[in-house]
Amino acid sequence: MVQKMKDKILVWDWPTRVFHWLLVACFAGSWITSGSDRYLLIHVSCGYTIFALMVFRLLWGLAGSRHARFASFLRGPGAAVGYVRSLLRGPAAHFTGHNPAGGWAIALMIVLGLITPIFGWITYNEWTGDWAAETHETLAWAFLILVGLHLLGVIVGSVAHRENLAAAMLSGFKRGDATEAIPRAYGWLALVMLIGVGLLWWWSMSV
Amino acid sequence: MKKLLIALSLAGLCGLAVAETPQQILSGLQAEAKQADPSFAGFSADRGKEFYNTKHGKEWACASCHTTDPTKEGKHAATGRAIKPIAPSANAERFTDPEKVARLYKRMCGEVLGRECTVQEKGDFLTYLLSVK
Repeated sequence: MVQKMKDKILVWDWPTRVFHWLLVACFAGSWITSGSDRYLLIHVSCGYTIFALMVFRLLWGLAGSRHARFASFLRGPGAAVGYVRSLLRGPAAHFTGHNPAGGWAIALMIVLGLITPIFGWITYNEWTGDWAAETHETLAWAFLILVGLHLLGVIVGSVAHRENLAAAMLSGFKRGDATEAIPRAYGWLALVMLIGVGLLWWWSMSV
Repeated sequence: MKKLLIALSLAGLCGLAVAETPQQILSGLQAEAKQADPSFAGFSADRGKEFYNTKHGKEWACASCHTTDPTKEGKHAATGRAIKPIAPSANAERFTDPEKVARLYKRMCGEVLGRECTVQEKGDFLTYLLSVK
């Protein structure tokens, strides 16, 4: 049984992984380009992409493969606190998919990833006074703090479980029971996503 | 629907409470300049015009996006998007929201000069914009 738990199984499907790393790129890109209007077109394109990625993630959370589904990782606050406590005091509770604290970070990041670009869009169109710009900035900072917490969680979780969680998000493989492996990786859908994002950039960068 | 209307009118009232006229914002800059320098000799529309049309060591002048005529609609130099006129005579919304003015001075001075503007520069700039009809 112990031996079985150490099996490397496919946990993250391709769309989930492509979503994650495109989001990383666009999140970093939007922060790097936030300082100057010189890069406003790239900044706005990053915002469109983040919004589109989050809409996709909402759908994939309902219809995706096992560990990508909200039902498999969204738990109450008590579960998140309990997990963090188990990390700090040991023995660290191991989850094949997202742990309950990570689930909260994901849910909040999806919300921020939808709202922040909307306020950016309002600012970009000069529809209101200053409050849209200020709200956009405040939300972006909240998002950054959340990303920081997420990274901290990944580092602590990786150490506690002796499992490189960032590498797992790249390869798709994590330690788990063979019965928890996902049967399909949906590579074709990831390809569709990449083409879609490419088209989005082609459209948003052409003026 | 009624609640929405109440909320909207409240938001409108809050907006009105902080609104100022461009002249009031200019007076504020004047007071600030006098306080910083007792020998302050006033703002100049000519200096503002020069400032508006000149590059300041970076890629863009104010006019790069707002065009050489501040009463005309501008065009963003990077995105190509239309920018509402910057002169209050052509766009009554300009220089009426002190917070927006402060934020845009900070952001745009960074864009054009790579630093914050002096009070003299801000005042000259606004004096010029108020002079064009």
